[in-house]
Amino acid sequence: MIRKLKHWLLWATLAIALLVTLTQLLQLYGLAGQNRLIGQLLAGKDVGADDLATSAPEVRMARAVYLSRHQRYDEALATLNLLLQQSGAVAQAQTRYNLGNLYLRQAMEKAQAGNINEAMPLLGLAKQAYREALMLDSNFWDAKYNLEVAMRLLPEMDRITSGDEQDDLNQKTQLWTTLPGFPRGLP
Amino acid sequence: MQALQRIRLSLALVIVTMLLAACSGASNRALRDFQVQTPRPFGYVIGDTIRHRILIETRSGMALERNSLPAQGRLNRWLQLNEISISEQDGGDGKQYQIELLYQQFYAPLEVKELSIPGFALRFRQHGQTLEQPVAPWPFTVAPLRELVVRQDQHGEYMRPDQAPSLLNDRAIVQRVFMALFVAISIVLRLAWLYGYLPGLPQRSVFKRAQRKLQNLGLQQLSQALGALHAAFNGLHGKPVFLHKLAEFYQSHPEYRSIADELAWFFDYSNRYFFGDASTMPQENDLQKIKTVCLHCREIERGSR
Repeated sequence: MIRKLKHWLLWATLAIALLVTLTQLLQLYGLAGQNRLIGQLLAGKDVGADDLATSAPEVRMARAVYLSRHQRYDEALATLNLLLQQSGAVAQAQTRYNLGNLYLRQAMEKAQAGNINEAMPLLGLAKQAYREALMLDSNFWDAKYNLEVAMRLLPEMDRITSGDEQDDLNQKTQLWTTLPGFPRGLP
Repeated sequence: MQALQRIRLSLALVIVTMLLAACSGASNRALRDFQVQTPRPFGYVIGDTIRHRILIETRSGMALERNSLPAQGRLNRWLQLNEISISEQDGGDGKQYQIELLYQQFYAPLEVKELSIPGFALRFRQHGQTLEQPVAPWPFTVAPLRELVVRQDQHGEYMRPDQAPSLLNDRAIVQRVFMALFVAISIVLRLAWLYGYLPGLPQRSVFKRAQRKLQNLGLQQLSQALGALHAAFNGLHGKPVFLHKLAEFYQSHPEYRSIADELAWFFDYSNRYFFGDASTMPQENDLQKIKTVCLHCREIERGSR
């Protein structure tokens, strides 16, 4: 009886092993497809929306990078905002950094075009995004560098960041997260 | 008179000394040990974390007021406290505290600049009284990451590019594929061995061959059928197997003991057929039984019985 059981157990294990092999091969095939999409996006070729619907966060991140490179900022922002909900500290930090870059790039373009007032809130958002990325990963050197770029971009920032310390300590609110000049009426 | 003055003076000195000793001993009485452990005070850049550790050993009856510690979150425009953890241990007749503070600074200086993590006062409570122990401000220097005259590229000021996602890692899946394949191949080999498909192992397929021969034999070739099955037993055992030597056969092949009745019938029938009187006429049913014995032997041979 035990011999019989052992014999059929062998067959059952074989069936399971073959099933696992098959499913893993299918997964591998899917993964290779996703990696192909990432490569395509990073090489500068867009992919269809159908391909993105069920794709991994990495593919959507690659699309956000692609969109940002092609100045399609609104679409890039929407893609990155969706990615903010994903798990994993590394991916979260990366998403926030790319979000910061998106704001910073827009702010630079606005500043170059002379729209300083529009650049300011964008800079505030960029700094906030970089700070969040650095809170998740304090060794994120690119985020450190770009946060310094954002901090120094406008002359006003220079004055404030190098201002006297007592003043810095007292100023607890971040400078550019709100638009200056908005009326704050009482209810 | 002079002696009296001298006595008064020395008395006053003694009182003053005692008072001084009492005053200086006040904090020592309260805290047995107080240490602030800090890292190097230089070489920080924007976004760096700074860990401070405060070790306290109190005397009995003293308790730390936890709300005297700085609150987690932003302390000022460039400094925030990311983590704060307090571990408390009961010592001999007091308590031991270990406070870990993880600061992160976000100051972007134009040149190396000294900053300071603000100090605070730790409060302890003992029998309704409050005692304060100051933690001094901690000065350190920060350095810029960028040059004063900034680099320009085609988009304006130089900035670090976007982080491209890394390709999806397929190592785990490949590992699983190989593991599953290894298991599958091992089992296939084992089954091939059991079923006698591996070349060079004739011992594993004696009943398989006998079964193949028996398939095409009719009642007229009963002697051939019996001979084929005998040959199979002899081949497996390495020497002739007889009815009276079955016990010896079972000793070297115990797995066949489960069909001992069938084997006993077969050897008995064979004896009667070859050496008995000719009165017993072979029946179709007998050939079928012989084929069944062979089938059961084949099942035992491949391990499925």
